[in-house]
Amino acid sequence: MLQFNKDGNNLFKKRWLLAFSFFCFINASVFAQELFSFTEPASNMSAKSMGLRMNVNYMKGFQRDKNSLYISPEIMVGISRKIMVHGETFFSNQQQQFQFKGASFYAKYRLFSIDDIHSHFRMAAFGRVASNNSPMHTTAIVLNGSTAGFESGLVATKLLNKVAMSSSFSFVRSFSSPSLNSPNEIHNHLLLPNQKNAVNYTLSIGKLMLPKHYVNYNQVNVNGMLELLGQTNLGLEASYVDIAPSVQFIFKSKMRIDLGYSTPLVSDLTRVNSTGFLLRFEYNLFNIFN
Amino acid sequence: MKIIASFLFVFLVSLSFGQIKKVNLQASGLTCSMCSNAINKALKTIDYIAAVDANIEHSTFEITFKPNAVVNFDELKKKVEGAGFFVAKMTFTLMVDQLDLFNDKHSDLNGTMFHFLNVGNHKITGENTFQILDKGYVTAKEFKKNSKYTTMPCYQTGLMGVCCKNKEKSVGTRIYHVTI
Repeated sequence: MLQFNKDGNNLFKKRWLLAFSFFCFINASVFAQELFSFTEPASNMSAKSMGLRMNVNYMKGFQRDKNSLYISPEIMVGISRKIMVHGETFFSNQQQQFQFKGASFYAKYRLFSIDDIHSHFRMAAFGRVASNNSPMHTTAIVLNGSTAGFESGLVATKLLNKVAMSSSFSFVRSFSSPSLNSPNEIHNHLLLPNQKNAVNYTLSIGKLMLPKHYVNYNQVNVNGMLELLGQTNLGLEASYVDIAPSVQFIFKSKMRIDLGYSTPLVSDLTRVNSTGFLLRFEYNLFNIFN
Repeated sequence: MKIIASFLFVFLVSLSFGQIKKVNLQASGLTCSMCSNAINKALKTIDYIAAVDANIEHSTFEITFKPNAVVNFDELKKKVEGAGFFVAKMTFTLMVDQLDLFNDKHSDLNGTMFHFLNVGNHKITGENTFQILDKGYVTAKEFKKNSKYTTMPCYQTGLMGVCCKNKEKSVGTRIYHVTI
């Protein structure tokens, strides 16, 4: 069960696609944005400001061919120049009808920053705790809408010669116990406690495609990004790695629309959904807490 | 007594003074227009700022002030840092009737202490542009490079030390290190 994307030939093609895509991105150096669609950078949002997000994921179903719709409203607050927090709620139609699934709280603390003109290297520590009422248990620990648990890790972002790259590494632990009755269960035994532990790792790269030259804040920015999002379950010694290209539009230097697609390159862990589209709206309200 | 002491303290550490025509600052650590806009919006929350003219491509901001504004450089810097970035360069344009510059010496200008570096000893008049060289006002590399212009400890702290206090200003008073 759940051996999709494990076809050797298909996997081989996808790995070449990945290598080629990264090669193209690394060689393309215009302006870069330190904003990513599927991951958070080490940079924080402006202090005393708020960001409102509506995340919509339309994911391909693997059971009963039922596609899933996830809608996650999110609020981000810049507490200070070093601390920012996110609060998010999850709604989905995983179980036939559209319903509330859970919530998460995320906090990020900027550890250090080395800045120069048009460049920086920043590191931040982050943590996330998520609840989820889904009865569907999976071996993958997906805190944004499918699993209850917590995550803690580090993220580093480099902006150099107008290219932005970011990478994160975190420990994640599920609060849920995969059960024998789960329709997604790939093992015929209960998972051991250490199989609730996993590590997440991400690698992101992005560049600004438009405008070629900045004139004012009303110009539409178009960013292209490519991200890798992986998880390895420490007990099962199984992994998934997704590739996630996306395009991002920024309007009036305060509103953002992200359009992304993610699909697994490696998929040895079960997930409710693994392939699908992301559509995100974000609106930033600067200095509202002054 | 406590109130008088508090008032005196506030007066002594006051970082502000008038007659600043404009401030130009360059921020580091950003390329995107949304980041630039975060700085632009943060600066505009300062009530005595009349206008901010941003150059997104060069991450520069020309700030002009309302009449009789009392400009506080540290407040401007704090706004840039609050937006998530740093000041790489800050200059201010000042009208002076006549000012005697003494290299590596302290000058009290309208109540604000300045320490002129790498200027030579000469008189200036009219409109002049000064660059602030304090920590956090230039890149870390430049700050280190400029340390050759003085051996005084106030360069490292931005505060007057035992060595440089005078009868009007006490130890701990903010002192800006500037060049022309």
